[in-house]
Amino acid sequence: MELSSIKQQDNAIRFILSGVTPAFANAMRRVMIAEVPTMAIDDVIIIENTSVLFDEFLAHRFGLIPLTTDLDSYILPEKCDCNSELGCNRCRASFTMEIEAKDDMIVVYSGDLKPDNPVVTPVNNKIPIVKLAAGQKLQLEAYARLGRGQEHAKWQPVSVCTYKYLPKISIDMKKCDSCGKCVKFCPKCILEIKDKRLVVKDIEECTLCTQCIKNCPKKSCPIKVEWSEKDFIFNIESNGALPITKIVEQAAIQIGEKASELSSLMKNLE
Amino acid sequence: MIIPVRCFTCGNVIADRWEEYSNRVKGGEHPKEILDDLGISRYCCRRMFISHVDVIDDILKYYEATARKFHNV
Ligand code: SF4
Ligand code: SF4
Ligand SMILES: [Zn+2]
Repeated sequence: MELSSIKQQDNAIRFILSGVTPAFANAMRRVMIAEVPTMAIDDVIIIENTSVLFDEFLAHRFGLIPLTTDLDSYILPEKCDCNSELGCNRCRASFTMEIEAKDDMIVVYSGDLKPDNPVVTPVNNKIPIVKLAAGQKLQLEAYARLGRGQEHAKWQPVSVCTYKYLPKISIDMKKCDSCGKCVKFCPKCILEIKDKRLVVKDIEECTLCTQCIKNCPKKSCPIKVEWSEKDFIFNIESNGALPITKIVEQAAIQIGEKASELSSLMKNLE
Repeated sequence: MIIPVRCFTCGNVIADRWEEYSNRVKGGEHPKEILDDLGISRYCCRRMFISHVDVIDDILKYYEATARKFHNV
């Protein structure tokens, strides 16, 4: 297994994972989407809401705010032994909000949620929740807990999470006369005529669409588009709840935990 | 009603950039340039912006009008 060509930018990462099977690459993708736990608001107790949005509408909007997640000090509610409906200090974080529009219309932002534990806060303070006209009031308590994307998309740590095979393009220079027709048809603009020879600029961008082959005037096309079934280009974007490298790391840990659970179950059968 | 917190398709948070987008559109800029500038690259997220109408502004007017009427009675 090997990591290469790592490009990290803010909340997004792109890397090539080599020496694995498609099954493993897909398992990683699915676990990142559905099983890496993050924090999200799950219970909202509305004390007063005279805004123009229904309580459910508000609660849904609160739920979708990504919260900074601390996986070391919080545990999943199903693993907690408190058994209480709203959870305990180990399995939930709480927020309060009390806001009233006095003389003018105001916009309520995610940053107006007052966290109990400063470690768990909205990733972004500038998400508009609702607008209040003068005289309208909002008072509520919100409870966040760890959850997984398989339960609700608000617990999903990633927005984009994809992989594709690493493309391999070979050009038979004996057959190609560098007419440049394929260059125009490549939707990713990665083909180029350089010194009267057809070259590939950025192979990672190729989508395997084969437009270059279809539009080559030659009877047997000099271009051959293939892919490696052992190298995968991953493209992942975090919504900020967890650092992007932590998501990949957690996904690998989750797969490992499942495997070791199965192995210990089997051991008991011996 | 009010800008959705996340993109319906990919789940990217978009609501935080709505205000800047709508102010700049009102200022006469082309939506394409603003979206490129704000780093909204995917077309699923871009359509969230270009197709959204903030109806809540109109609904608040009804509330204010009834509140005024109530005060005057
Ligand atoms: S691959 Fe075909 S279309 Fe492309 S430059 Fe060579 S001959 Fe022309
Ligand atoms: S397969 Fe498609 S993306 Fe790749 S080089 Fe050919 S035209 Fe471009
Ligand atoms: Zn999107």
